[in-house]
Amino acid sequence: MIINNKEPLLEVIDLKTYFFTEEGVVKAVDGVDFEVYQGETLGIVGESGCGKSVTAFSIMRLLDYPGKTVGGKIVFKGYNLLEKSDDEMRKVRGKDIAMIFQEPMTALNPVLTVGFQISEALMMHFKIGKKEAINKSVELLKKVEIPMPEERANEYPHQLSGGMRQRAMIAMAMSCDPVLLIADEPTTALDVTIQAQILDLMRTLLREFNGSLIMITHDLGVIAEIADRIAIMYAGKIVEYANKRTIFYSPLHPYTFGLLTSIPRLDLEMKRLNVIPGVVPNPLHFPEGCKFNPRCSFVTDRCKEEEPQLIEVEEGHLVRCWNIDKVAQEVKKGLLVGV
Amino acid sequence: MADSLLKVDNLVKYFPIKKGVFRRTVGWIKAVDDVSFEVYEGETLGLVGESGCGKTTTALTILRLEEPTKGQVIFDGRDVVKMKKADLRKERKNMQIIFQDPYSSLDPRMKIKDIIAEGILTHNLLKVRERYKRVGELLEKVGIPAENMDSFPHEFSGGQRQRIGIARALALEPKIIMCDEAVSALDVSIRSQIINLLKDLQKEFNLTYLFIAHDLSVIKYISDRVVVMYLGKIVEIADKKELFTNTMHPYTQALISAVPVPNPDYKKERIILKGDVPSPANPPTGCRFHPRCSKVMKICSEIEPKLTEAKEGHFCACHLYNEK
Repeated sequence: MIINNKEPLLEVIDLKTYFFTEEGVVKAVDGVDFEVYQGETLGIVGESGCGKSVTAFSIMRLLDYPGKTVGGKIVFKGYNLLEKSDDEMRKVRGKDIAMIFQEPMTALNPVLTVGFQISEALMMHFKIGKKEAINKSVELLKKVEIPMPEERANEYPHQLSGGMRQRAMIAMAMSCDPVLLIADEPTTALDVTIQAQILDLMRTLLREFNGSLIMITHDLGVIAEIADRIAIMYAGKIVEYANKRTIFYSPLHPYTFGLLTSIPRLDLEMKRLNVIPGVVPNPLHFPEGCKFNPRCSFVTDRCKEEEPQLIEVEEGHLVRCWNIDKVAQEVKKGLLVGV
Repeated sequence: MADSLLKVDNLVKYFPIKKGVFRRTVGWIKAVDDVSFEVYEGETLGLVGESGCGKTTTALTILRLEEPTKGQVIFDGRDVVKMKKADLRKERKNMQIIFQDPYSSLDPRMKIKDIIAEGILTHNLLKVRERYKRVGELLEKVGIPAENMDSFPHEFSGGQRQRIGIARALALEPKIIMCDEAVSALDVSIRSQIINLLKDLQKEFNLTYLFIAHDLSVIKYISDRVVVMYLGKIVEIADKKELFTNTMHPYTQALISAVPVPNPDYKKERIILKGDVPSPANPPTGCRFHPRCSKVMKICSEIEPKLTEAKEGHFCACHLYNEK
């Protein structure tokens, strides 16, 4: 997809979301900046606990105590979403920005029929009657390729299979023609053949409504298929941000490099997997300096003292690292894609 | 070729569906339905399939953690299915399992040294002091400092707990370890640590693995041979290389094509399967895959294809290859 220099649809500036727990403050998202343009797919990649889901929830303002967005701006269509009242936010949520959750079984209400749950948003945002709304939801179910949509609309979530439920979630998200869709690990709980179906469906629908998508996932394979640009997150911050090809072919952050070389893959014969040693740090006690330094193979003294900033090293490629020269050399040795 | 360490013959496991006040059996879930394969000494046999295909049940019935309905499991020349309780207990020393969920597979109220030593205790192998010394060695082997042996499972992260699960499986020096989705619940960076650990341990102790996973990329990396299951049946068995380059069964083809590859330039034709996996309580007639198969023929809904050797060492259950 072509990204021209026009205004971004969504701009997240220095977003900070903290959790105020009894043990202390967890800085789940700590100064995240990114933007999403019309018609593009931005992938947010990271391991569990890196803050990718919290970022999504912050944009939707769906966080509850003890989580709180304490700083930054979320500019959507020229307005800061963080300044909107609850009522105004409700008009945005589901209408302009919609969300697909990871676990369709817990995201859907078990005691309401699928058709009713879809029509709820329609009735609220379009001020239409119940009958009309139900008819429209049947149409939507048909659009997401659910067989026998009339019958399915009257069924409850537990009567549907996992893939079908996720389709229903997508129908619900698409019901009010959103301009921005946020998908939080939408295929993680699904089998691989069902995942292929869902990704295929999402791609078709995206093309159709020319909307933007924020795809949150830990699966680099899914990202390689669907994203235009990618943000890699680690410990509440973006560590690398670039277009897809740059991330996969010439990454400059040691974490990105580590991730790419540590996954077993179908397209290559691999001798031995690279390993990122250690574990994700406890968010209550992040290390000093660069948060990745205890696990980094390129670490220097500077990394332990001073935290690097996210710096634009070439156009559209931002990296948070002191040692990008060393990483670039390692990448050149050819441990990556297609070698 | 090496000798087969484990030979599974016509293994069947049905679970009853009970309904009503009297809990009458109204049907059967055909979880594993006539499955036969061999595992050779020192190899890693990958068992792959989607949820509900019976891969975990296969492992559990081999260990007799679930009683098989029918069939034979020959381990080291003896039929596990016919063994008496006491003999089975002795034999289990040689067959261990690592579970998927490192959170629920460790008793939260036991210290990890006791979790790992439990098997040694059961089989009365070592005295107390030696026992814990051995636990320390095992922990070091899997990459956890031995001084942590007095901690409880909740003090460890997911990856570390999986290491503890591996140490427990190793404690009795088994011949075969079933890894039931042992790396599926782990994060990417932790997963590669555990995969490498399993490979190293295999080399060091000459272990045989039955490696169960739904992730084909992992299966491709770790296995020597691969068994593909669908709805309680084996559809294809082959050497890893053969399976991925010369895929025969339409289901395996679809499965491989569906895996997202982390390479933006990787072009392939994706086969999108229609519909969902049918219920194993009421599987389709004939070939169980036929309602979703793109190459379905008339015979497929009538006669069930047998698993036959289409090429040396390459078995496939599909009518496309069975006719002359």
